[in-house]
Amino acid sequence: MNRIRALRKPREESYIDYSLIFIILFLLAFGLVMVYSTSSYEANLDLGDSSYYFRHQMVSTIIGLAAMMIVSYIPYRFIAKFAFPIYIAAAVLLILVIPFGKRINGAKRWIYIMGMSVQPAEVAKFAVIVFSAVLIIKLRKNLMSPKGYMTALAFPALYSLMVYGITKNLSSAIIIMGITVVMLFISTPGYRRYVIAALSLFALVAVVVLIIANSEHSSGMNYRFERVLAWLDPKAHSSGKGFQTLQALYAIGSGGIFGKGLGESMQKMGFIPEAQNDMIFSVICEELGLFGAIAVMLMFLLLIWRLMIIANNAPDMLGALLVIGVMGHISIQVILNIAVVTNTIPNTGITLPFISYGGSAVIIQLAEIGLALNVARNIGR
Amino acid sequence: MKQNSRVNKQKFTIGMKKKLVVLFVIVLLAFVGLGVRLILITKNNGEEYEKQVLSQQQYDSTTIPFRRGEIKDSNGTILAYSEKVYNVILDAKLLLRSDKYVDPTVNALVKYFKLDGGEIRNYLSEHPTSQYYTLAKKIEYDQVAPFQDLMTPGSDTYDENIQGVWFEDNYIRKYPNGTMACDVIGFTTSDNIGTYGLEEYYNDTLSGTLGREFGYLDEDSTLERTTIPATDGDSIVTTIDGNLQTIVEKYVKQYNDEHANKARQGNGANNIGCIMMDIHTGDILAMASYPNYDLNNPRDTSKLIGMPMVDEKGKLLVLENESVFDSGVYMTEEMIADFSDEETYRQLNALWKNYCISDTYEPGSVSKPFTTATGLEIGALSGNEHYNCNGSLEIGDWKIHCHNTYGDGDVSVERAIEISCNVALMHEAQAIGKENFTKFQRQFGFGLKTNIDLAGEFRTEGLTIAASNMTSTDLATNAFGQNYNCDMIEMITAFSSLINGGYYYEPHVVKKIVSSSGSTIKNIEPRVLRQTISPSTSEKIIQYCNKVVAGEEGTGKTARPAGYMIGGKTGTAQTLPRGNRQYVVSFMGYAPADHPDIAIYVVVDRPNVPMQDDAKNATWIVKRVLTEALPYLNYPMTEEISDKEQAELDEIRANMVTPTQPNQEDGAAAEDGNPDGENSEGEKAEGTSEEGKADEKKEDAEKQKKDKKEEKKDDTNIWESFDVDETTGYYIDPNTGNLVNPENGNEMGGDDLPDFTGAPTAEASEGKSSE
Repeated sequence: MNRIRALRKPREESYIDYSLIFIILFLLAFGLVMVYSTSSYEANLDLGDSSYYFRHQMVSTIIGLAAMMIVSYIPYRFIAKFAFPIYIAAAVLLILVIPFGKRINGAKRWIYIMGMSVQPAEVAKFAVIVFSAVLIIKLRKNLMSPKGYMTALAFPALYSLMVYGITKNLSSAIIIMGITVVMLFISTPGYRRYVIAALSLFALVAVVVLIIANSEHSSGMNYRFERVLAWLDPKAHSSGKGFQTLQALYAIGSGGIFGKGLGESMQKMGFIPEAQNDMIFSVICEELGLFGAIAVMLMFLLLIWRLMIIANNAPDMLGALLVIGVMGHISIQVILNIAVVTNTIPNTGITLPFISYGGSAVIIQLAEIGLALNVARNIGR
Repeated sequence: MKQNSRVNKQKFTIGMKKKLVVLFVIVLLAFVGLGVRLILITKNNGEEYEKQVLSQQQYDSTTIPFRRGEIKDSNGTILAYSEKVYNVILDAKLLLRSDKYVDPTVNALVKYFKLDGGEIRNYLSEHPTSQYYTLAKKIEYDQVAPFQDLMTPGSDTYDENIQGVWFEDNYIRKYPNGTMACDVIGFTTSDNIGTYGLEEYYNDTLSGTLGREFGYLDEDSTLERTTIPATDGDSIVTTIDGNLQTIVEKYVKQYNDEHANKARQGNGANNIGCIMMDIHTGDILAMASYPNYDLNNPRDTSKLIGMPMVDEKGKLLVLENESVFDSGVYMTEEMIADFSDEETYRQLNALWKNYCISDTYEPGSVSKPFTTATGLEIGALSGNEHYNCNGSLEIGDWKIHCHNTYGDGDVSVERAIEISCNVALMHEAQAIGKENFTKFQRQFGFGLKTNIDLAGEFRTEGLTIAASNMTSTDLATNAFGQNYNCDMIEMITAFSSLINGGYYYEPHVVKKIVSSSGSTIKNIEPRVLRQTISPSTSEKIIQYCNKVVAGEEGTGKTARPAGYMIGGKTGTAQTLPRGNRQYVVSFMGYAPADHPDIAIYVVVDRPNVPMQDDAKNATWIVKRVLTEALPYLNYPMTEEISDKEQAELDEIRANMVTPTQPNQEDGAAAEDGNPDGENSEGEKAEGTSEEGKADEKKEDAEKQKKDKKEEKKDDTNIWESFDVDETTGYYIDPNTGNLVNPENGNEMGGDDLPDFTGAPTAEASEGKSSE
C-alpha cells in the first residue's frame, strides 16, 4: 500500500480511481445485459415489450451515473455538514410511505416523486452511511463508553425499526444495522465484543430455527416463519414459499460449469418469479455457469478490495468511515443475495448491487460509489 | 486506539487499517464459502436439477385450435360449419399494475360483454396475482371486435387504460339449418369430437390437427421455441340435396303434427323414416326421421316430449302391467322433469340415433318383390305361374293366412305383387327353396351392413335365418317379409338394385372431400358391389311394381302423385308380440315408373291412429314428397290430371294448409267401391297370423271368414262385441270397417292396402318344436 501511495504521489492533485470506475462500469453493463436476458421473455409476454425492464434500468443507470459524478465532485466534508438534515430527510421519506406508499406485489415500499418511484429504504442506506460516519467522528472520545456506543447504534436502529415497521422490509433493516456495525467494528478497538455478539446472535438464530422447525404444525406461523421452514426443506414447500428458492437452485444446478449460454436460460421463462430482481444471480449461474458466477463474485471482490484500498488511504477518519460504510453496504448485500439464491439463508428480498433490476437501488449505490470516488480524489491531500 | 486525533480531522489509524483488512478477509471468506456452495450445488445436484428443469419445460406448451371442416349439401349449401369465437381472459396481475387501469377496464368489460362488474372486482380483490381467468366463453367476433379496438394502439377508440384482458381463440360448431338433416349430420361435443352421423363417421376427416406452440431441446440441449400452426380440417360435400331434404322433412313433420295425440298421447308415430336415393349411384338424396332435434342444442329435452321411452338397452320400454296393445310409454314434460340425468341421457340417445340406419324391424310385404325376383332369377318362376289363393296355406303345422281370408282366387305372379298375396308368395318361396332363398337374401344384402358412411349403422348379422336353421314356415313367412329383420337403408339399397338392372351400389352420403383451401382431395365415386339380378328380371320387377300403383287392384294407389306414374310396394308388418295391434307400415317406391331414377322409402313405425295396419300412413307421405320433389328434379308430368287430382294438387301446392284427410277418405271410398274390394279389405293381420298352436284358433278364423263373407256392413255389429272401444272412432264408415280378431288381437282393417304380416320368429319356432 505504501507503494501505491508512493506511485500516486506525483499526481496527488486529483486522484481518480480508474480501476474502481472500470469495475463499476463493467458491473453496470453486465447488469443491463443480464436484466435484458432475464426479463425479455416475461416482459414480452406480460407487457408486449421485451425491452421494458431493460429500458427502465437503462434510464436509472444513467441517472445513477450522473448522481455518482455529482457526488464525487462535492467535497465529502461539505456533505458531512448536512449529515443530520440528510438523516431527517430520509426518515421523512420513510414516514411518507405510510400515506403515499405504492403497493407492489403486496408490499408497500415505494413512493412516487415527480413520476419516479423511489424506495425510501434505499435512501436510508445512503443516509445511514453519512450520518453514522459523522456520528462516530463526533462521539470519538465517548465511543468507548457504553452510553456513547449505544448512541452510535441508536440512530441507525431507529431507521431499521422504521424500515421494518413501515415497509415490512426485513432485509433492508438488517443491511442498515449491518452497515453501522461494520463501521463501528472498524472504528472501535478490540474483537472480543464482536465475537461474543456474533456467537450469541448465531446461537439465538439457531435456537429460533430449531423452535420453528419443531413447531411445524402450529397454524399461527407468520409468513417469515414459513420462509424459514421453506429454507430448511424447499422441496416440501415447493408450491409455496420454497418455489422461488427451489427454482433458483434448479437454475444454478442446471447451468453446469460453463452454463447454457447467454440468453439460453429456461428457468427465466416463467419459472423463477421476478427473475430480473432478487434471483438474477441464479440466471447468471444458469446461463454462464459456475465460471460466469465466480467471475462476477471476483468482480465484486475486486470492487470491495478497491474500496478497502481507498479507505486505507483516506486522508482522514471521516473519509475512511464513509468508504467503509459503502464497502460494508455492498459486501453485505452481495453476500446475502448470493446466500439467498443458494439457499444458504432463508429467502428474503435482497437485490444484487449494480446488476439486479431496481431503479432506486442502482441510483443510490452509484451515489455511494460517487462518495468513495470523492474520498479517493482527496487521497494524498 | 491511541492516536493524536483532532476533532475535525481524525486520522485513520493503523489499528483500524488492520481491522479493515480483517473485515476484508471475513468478506473474502464469505465469498469463498458461497463459491464453494455454488460448486457443491452444481456438482451434487446438477444432473438432477437439470432434469428437473427439462421436465418442467415440457408443460410449457400451448395448443392452437383447428377449424373443423364444413359439411355441405350437394348444392354447396352449408349444413355445418365452425365459427371462430373468443374466450375473454382476465390477467388480474397485469390489470392491477396501476389503479387507473381498473375502472376503465372493468367498465369496458361490463359494457361490451355484459359481465357483472361487481363479480370482476370481487375476483380482482380476491385473486390479485391471478393471470388466467376466463371471464366469458365463446364470444363471437362482432362482440369482440370493438373491444379489441380499445386495446389496439392507433385505432380511433384506443384507450391505453384498458389492460389485462386478452382473447383466446376457439371454435364452435354451428348448424345454420337447426334441425335439418339432424340424424344425417350428427353433432359435436364441446371438445370437437363428432357424435352420430357424418360428424362421427368423418370425424377424422373433419378434424384438423391441433397446432402447438412448444419448446423443445435441440442437440445442444438448448431450448428452442417453435409454433406449429393448426391444420384446419377438410370439408365434406354430401349427396344430400338440401331442397329434397327440406321437402321430405316438411311432410314427415306434417304427418306427425296431424297425427300427434290422435289415438294416444304422443307423437304421430313411434318413428317415421324416409330415405330418397339415386338408384344409379347409391347417392342418398335425402334421409330424415322423426322425432328430430336441434343440432345447435341437441340436449334440449323438449324434443323428447311425445317420444316413446326406451329402456337401458335402448329398446322400446314395455311396462310389465302394460297391455300388449299399448305401443309405448310416451314422455311428457312432467316425466322428463323427474328423470335422473342418466335416464334423460338414455332417452336423448334414442332421440339422436338415426332411425333410417339404426333401427331394425320386420319389413313386411315390401320384401315380396325380392322373393319374386329370386324366383325369376334362378328360373324357379317363369312369370307365367298362377296360384290359387283360398285365404290361407298350411305350411308345416301352421296355417298361414293371406291378408284376405276369403282368398284371392286365381293369382298370377304379377297380381301377387299387385294385391300383395301372401299365399302366392308362399308358393313361390316353396318353388325357390330355402337354399336359393337365403343365398339371394344375402345377395340382396339382408343380414349384412351396407357400409353406408354414417355412424351408427346397425349390424344386422344374425337377423336373417340361415338355410340350415330355416324351417318351411320360416321360408314361407320370410317370403312376404316377416320373421326376419332389416333396417331401412338395407331395404332401399337392395330395392335400388332390383329396379336399376341389378347393380347393387354401396349407399353413400358423401361424394367429395375438399381441403380447407377448396381443392378436391377425394371424389367418392359410385361403387357397384355386385350384380344381384339380371337386367331382364329387373324389368319384370319394375313391371310388377308398377302395377301396385297403376293396377286396378293395386295396393299403393294412394302413393301416386298427381300427374306422374310411379311404381313401388306397400308393406304392413306385424310387430312382436304378435297380436299387439302394432304395425310398421311402409311404402317403397321409385320414379319415374318406366325408367326409374330415384327410389323413396317411407316407414311409419306404429302410427298414432286407431287402426295402424294401414299403409296409407306411409303413402300419404310418399305422395306429397314426390308431388313436390319430381317437378324439382325436372321430371315432366306424364299423366293426365283429373279434376279431383287437380284439386288435391292445388291443395298440396298450397303447402297443405288444410288437413288432407278428406281427400284420402274419398280415395279410399272410391277404391272400396271396387268389386274386388275384398282384396283391399282383407284381414291382413288375421291372414298373417300363425294359428298352429290351437285348433280353436283355426275355428275362429273360419268363423271370421264366414262372418266376413256374410256382409261387410255387418262387420261393425259383429265386432262391436269385441275390442270395439279401442277403435270406435273409425267405425262410422262401414266400407272401411275395422275388424278386430279377439283371438290374436289382429285387426281386420278394411282399407285399400291389403298388405299384411307373417309369423313371429319366436312363436313360430316354439310352435314347431313343441309339436
